[in-house]
Amino acid sequence: MTCEEFELAGLDLETLREGDSVQIAAREHLRVCPHCAALQENWQTLQADLHAMGAETREAEAPPRVELRLRQEYRTRHKSLKARRVAVFAGWSLAAAAVIVAAVSWISWRKEAHQGAVQQAAVVKQKATSAGNAGQGVNLNGTEPAGPEIGETLVASNDAGEFTLLPGSLPGTLEDATVVRVQMQRGALDALGLTVNEERASDLIQVDLLVGDDGQPQAVRLAQAPN
Amino acid sequence: MQIEAQERDDVLLRRSAKGDEAAFAELYRRHQAPLYRFALRMSGNVWAAEEIVQDVFMTLIRDPKKFDAGRGALRSYLYGITRNRVMKHLERVPREWLHEEIDEENASQAGPGFDVKTPVEWLELHERREQVRAAVLELPVEFREAVVLCGLEELSYEEAAQLLDCPVGTIRSRLHRGRALLLAKLEMLRDAPRRASASR
Repeated sequence: MTCEEFELAGLDLETLREGDSVQIAAREHLRVCPHCAALQENWQTLQADLHAMGAETREAEAPPRVELRLRQEYRTRHKSLKARRVAVFAGWSLAAAAVIVAAVSWISWRKEAHQGAVQQAAVVKQKATSAGNAGQGVNLNGTEPAGPEIGETLVASNDAGEFTLLPGSLPGTLEDATVVRVQMQRGALDALGLTVNEERASDLIQVDLLVGDDGQPQAVRLAQAPN
Repeated sequence: MQIEAQERDDVLLRRSAKGDEAAFAELYRRHQAPLYRFALRMSGNVWAAEEIVQDVFMTLIRDPKKFDAGRGALRSYLYGITRNRVMKHLERVPREWLHEEIDEENASQAGPGFDVKTPVEWLELHERREQVRAAVLELPVEFREAVVLCGLEELSYEEAAQLLDCPVGTIRSRLHRGRALLLAKLEMLRDAPRRASASR
């Protein structure tokens, strides 16, 4: 074994296995090389010093104040984290509740509006039907219509169309209304509160009027051509 | 909550992250001492070691999800953080003497393997220890780590390699170089007074 090999492998003689070839060679080298023997001696002294130094601090540990500070920090962090989580949860819950309430209100409003429109249409249709039946009864009694003339009151033969409420009329006042077909100048619709094309104001048109108890027209529709 | 002695570190860490203070305390008690000793022996300063340990566990409190159990043990992870903090400390304060208060108590005793008979012997021993301590603190960091872990903490090469995240061969060679540097330094220190007295 050379001095370099001894430095590399032979310094830790005690860590080598007894009877190991390296250990035997190292021991042999120690006997013949005073330099390496001195090195070995120095190393053993240093090892003992290191061991003693290690023993001095073997039981050393962080002072209890470190643990106290850390636990304090831990509590503070987790408390604020918990509070933040609760706040976030509450915020989201409130937002979700608001969305649900809005959605439910919108749906019920839509439903009510739709029902109102259906009811209104049904009432108007019912009135128109009953008025139509009454008019047909008159026709059956032999009063043949002699053709449409201006101002002549006619009975509607077709009530399938929708009436348009005249301005100022209320749907509730139509319960006992009757339908009359009249021929009139288009410009006369203006007097009923409807918008009229001025260029064709003198045209004659046939309209069905829904006339209330008071004799005032409540709704109007353009008469449909008989099939 | 009850903590089992054999409860795994990663389980404890998960519980700690969810707000279980007892789990955190258990983790701290398990790991603080070796980390503190490592920081103390590397920096040579009790205040720095205390600050470093506090900093390491503060990281664990602030960001427990940084630890990935698939990449290694919590012990190695904590050693890694400690090493980084030690490096930062050493960059700021290159070298400090080991604080006297640590060995105040131990200094009166000779320590293991020493049979002190006279005050002169005690003084010599004390002086030699101081020289060794200074020599260790003057070692380059990578050699110092190897000497601290294998020489002072008396870990096996495999354990040290695991903690420093490097091959066993690297630890072996660093330790060898560290020892050689230590021997050279101590040789110089011991020869200096001799040379001085010879020249007188």
